[in-house]
Amino acid sequence: MVHEQHMVPFTEAAFHRTERLRNTAASGKKIIGYFCTYTPIELIHASGFLPVRIWGEQVRVEQAYTLVPNFICPYMRQSLERAMAGEYDFLSGLVQGYTCDIACGLFNVWKENIPLELFHSLPLPYNDTEDSRLFFREGVQELLDKLSGIGGCFSEDSLEETLMIYGQIREHLLALDVMRSTRRFAFGAEAFAAMLRAGFFLDPLEYLGMLADLKEALEEKEKSPAEGIPVILSGSLIENSPVLALIEELGGVIVSDDLCDGMRNASPAYGTGATPTERLLDRYMRRLPCPARARPSSRASLLLDQVRTSRARGVVFVFQKFCSPHLADYPSVSETLKKKGFPSILIELDEEGVMDGQIRTRLETFFSMLED
Amino acid sequence: MAGTGKSKKRLNAARELTQVVADYYLECQQAHDQGKPVGWMPPMNGVIEVFYAMDLQPVFPENWSPVCAAFGLTPGNFEVSEGMGYSRDLCGYLRNIVGYVYSDMHAAHVPLGGLPEPDLLISFGGGCIPAMKIFQILEQRFPSSRIFSADLPQVAVEDIRDHHIRYAVSEIHRLIDFLTRATGKKMDYDRLEEAVILSDKACALWDEIMSYRRFIPTPISAAEIGIMFVMVTRQGTQVAVDFLTKVRDEVRQRANDGIGVLEDEQVRLFWDNIPLWYNMGLFNAFEHMGGVFVAETYSAAWSLRLDTSNPLEALAMKSLMSYSLVSCLSIRRRKEMVLKACRDYAIDGAVFHQNKSCVPITIGQTDIRRALLKELDIPSITIDADHMDARNFSHAQFQTRADAFMEMLLEKKRDRGRPGV
Ligand code: SF4
Ligand code: SF4
Repeated sequence: MVHEQHMVPFTEAAFHRTERLRNTAASGKKIIGYFCTYTPIELIHASGFLPVRIWGEQVRVEQAYTLVPNFICPYMRQSLERAMAGEYDFLSGLVQGYTCDIACGLFNVWKENIPLELFHSLPLPYNDTEDSRLFFREGVQELLDKLSGIGGCFSEDSLEETLMIYGQIREHLLALDVMRSTRRFAFGAEAFAAMLRAGFFLDPLEYLGMLADLKEALEEKEKSPAEGIPVILSGSLIENSPVLALIEELGGVIVSDDLCDGMRNASPAYGTGATPTERLLDRYMRRLPCPARARPSSRASLLLDQVRTSRARGVVFVFQKFCSPHLADYPSVSETLKKKGFPSILIELDEEGVMDGQIRTRLETFFSMLED
Repeated sequence: MAGTGKSKKRLNAARELTQVVADYYLECQQAHDQGKPVGWMPPMNGVIEVFYAMDLQPVFPENWSPVCAAFGLTPGNFEVSEGMGYSRDLCGYLRNIVGYVYSDMHAAHVPLGGLPEPDLLISFGGGCIPAMKIFQILEQRFPSSRIFSADLPQVAVEDIRDHHIRYAVSEIHRLIDFLTRATGKKMDYDRLEEAVILSDKACALWDEIMSYRRFIPTPISAAEIGIMFVMVTRQGTQVAVDFLTKVRDEVRQRANDGIGVLEDEQVRLFWDNIPLWYNMGLFNAFEHMGGVFVAETYSAAWSLRLDTSNPLEALAMKSLMSYSLVSCLSIRRRKEMVLKACRDYAIDGAVFHQNKSCVPITIGQTDIRRALLKELDIPSITIDADHMDARNFSHAQFQTRADAFMEMLLEKKRDRGRPGV
C-alpha cells in the first residue's frame, strides 16, 4: 500500500532546499547554477561540483525591475529577484547552455550584477553533422577548462560514473511517466511535479535512491486508476504553479508532459558512442527538443506521438508569459494537433501565480468540450 | 509636426535613397522573372556576399518590415498574423512578415511590387529566436523552396575563440555546397573576394561618415539612418560603395563648412535600440529645443572591417560579430561601444528605447545606462515603445518625457557654463 509518506522525502527536500544548499556550499562543495536543461550538467557533476537549476517560483518581483523590463518571462524575472536578494549565495558559478534570448540576456545581466566566481555560456549547435559535433566537443573542452580553473577535477572515468547516475535517473523518470499515462501514479500532478523538481537541486545519487524507492512502492500498489479526462501539458516551465491543481479540480488528469521542467529532458536516458564524452554529446544532440532548438513541424509530430502513446484527448499548452520560442511555435503546432483531432488550449503564466477567473472559465469550457 | 510620421532629412544623398531602395526591389522582382534563383535570408550575416558572388538574388524579409511600416502596411499584416494565433508579445518583425506572406503578397496596395517568392530559404539558428522562427514559419508557407539551415555559434564578441571561427567557416562551405547543388551555379572565388573587398570598402566609408558626427554642430543625425539600407541589402556591391561615397562627400563638405543639422545645436543626444520605423519623425522631436540625435547603437553592427585577404574567415567573423554586438549576447562589449561613442561624439544625454518588440536589444540597457551615468556623467531616459507596433507607443507620453529630459539637459549645460558646447 502506498502512503503519502513516499512523497515526503521530495517535499521535505524542497522545503529545506536553500538551507541544504547553503550547508553543501559550507562543506566545501561548489555549487554551479544553470537555467536550461540544455546545459550539460554532467560535466559539472563529473568535475566534482553540484549542478543546481535556478528557480523562480512565485516571488513578487520588485528589485529586478531596476535591471530588466517587465516583458520577459516571469521565470527569469523571479530568479533575478531572488539572486538580487542574496538567496543564491550558495552558488560559485553560473553555466548556461545557449537556448533562448532571455536566458542568454539574463545570464549576462547576472554576470554584470551578481558576483560569482565563474560565468560561462556554452554555444550549442543546431545541426547534427560531423562538424557540429566537433564544434560541440571543443565547446565542452572550453567549459571543462573553465571548471578546472575553479578547482574542478574532471576525468573520463568520473564522467562515466556521472552518466550512469543521470541515465538511471532518467530511466526511472521515464518509467514513472509510463505509470502516469497508465494512471498508476497515485499522487496527482502536484506530487509528480514536486518529484521532478527535487531532481533540480538534490545530489543526483541521493535523488536516484529516492526515485527508486518511490517506484518500488508504486509498483507494489494495487491498481486503482486515476479518474479524469486525460491531457498532456506542453510548454515552458511550470514550476509550482497552481494551474496543476486547477486542471485536476476541473476534471482533467495529466497523463504526460512536454515541459521544460517536466519530462522533455528525460529522453533518451543515455547517448551512444565510444567514449563517455561522445555519449554525453550524443544524448544532447538527440534529446527531445525545446522550441528554442527545433522547428515547429518536428515538435508537432513528436507531440502527436506523445499524445497518442499516452492516450491523451487534448493538450493544455502552458507557457511562461512572453516566452517567444513557445509562442512562435504555438499556432503551427496547435493547428497540426487540431487537424489530427486533438484540441488544445493555451494558458500563459504570469508572475502572480494566481489563476484568475478567466483562465478557470476557459479551462472549464475546454474540459467540458473534451468530455463530449 | 515634429515627432510624427516621416523624419526630416537634410542630406541630398539621403533623398537619392528612395531610388536606391526602389532599384533594389525592382532588381529582386526582375531576378525572379528572369529565372535567377531568389533566396530569402536573415540580415546580419555573411551570406549576402556569397549570394552576390554566385550570381544569386538575396532578399531580406526583415528589411521588408521597415518598408511595410513606412508605407502603413503593418497594421493589416498584424491583423493577419494575430488572427492566425501569433501573440502580440512576439517581435513585430515576425508578426509583420508572417502577416505579409499569408496575405496577397503582390496586391495593388503593396509598395515596390512586393517581394518575389523564394526559391531558397536560408533558415537560421544563430541570431535571436524570432529571426530563427521567422524562417521556420516561412518554410511552411513556401514548401517548394529549398531549405538550408545555417548554424552559427552564439557567443559574446569577447569570447570568440578559434573553434567558433572554424565552425562558422565550415558552415559557409556547407552553404556554398548546398547552393551549388540547389541552383547549379558555381562559386566564383574571385568574385567572392571582390564582394568582400566591396563590403569592407562600404564599412570604411560608413565609419568615415560616422566620424563626421564628431563635428559640432553635427552635419548628420539619426534622422538620416535610412542610408543604412545599403549596409543591409547592398553589402558586397559597387552600388553600396557609390552611394556611400556620395553621402561621405556631402557630409564631409557640410562638416568642413560648419553646416549642422541644427543651426543652434544645444544638446547632443544618443539613441539606443531600433528606431520606430512607423515614426521616424521621433528623431526630430527634440529639435525645437536644440536637441539633435548625433549617434545610435544600432548602426554599429553593420560596420565591421573585414580582413579581405581571407574572405571566408572574414565572412565568418562578420557573421559571428554582428548580432552579438548589438544584442544581449554581449552586454559588456555593447556597453563599451556605447561609452566610446558617447565619448567620441561628445554626447550630453541618451535615450534608451525600451523596445517591447525586441527583447535581445532591450536586455542590458539598464547596465549601460548606469555605466553612462557613473563613468561619463551622462544622464539618460527610457522610453517605452516598439519598433514595429504603434499600439505600444504613446506619443503624448513620449513628448512630455522628452521635453522634461531636454530641460534638464539644458539646465545641466547652463550650470556648467558652456552653452552650445
Ligand atoms: S524558453 Fe521561455 S520560459 Fe524558458 S527562459 Fe526562455 S523565455 Fe523563459
Ligand atoms: S533582433 Fe530583435 S528585432 Fe530583430 S528579429 Fe530579433 S527580436 Fe526581432
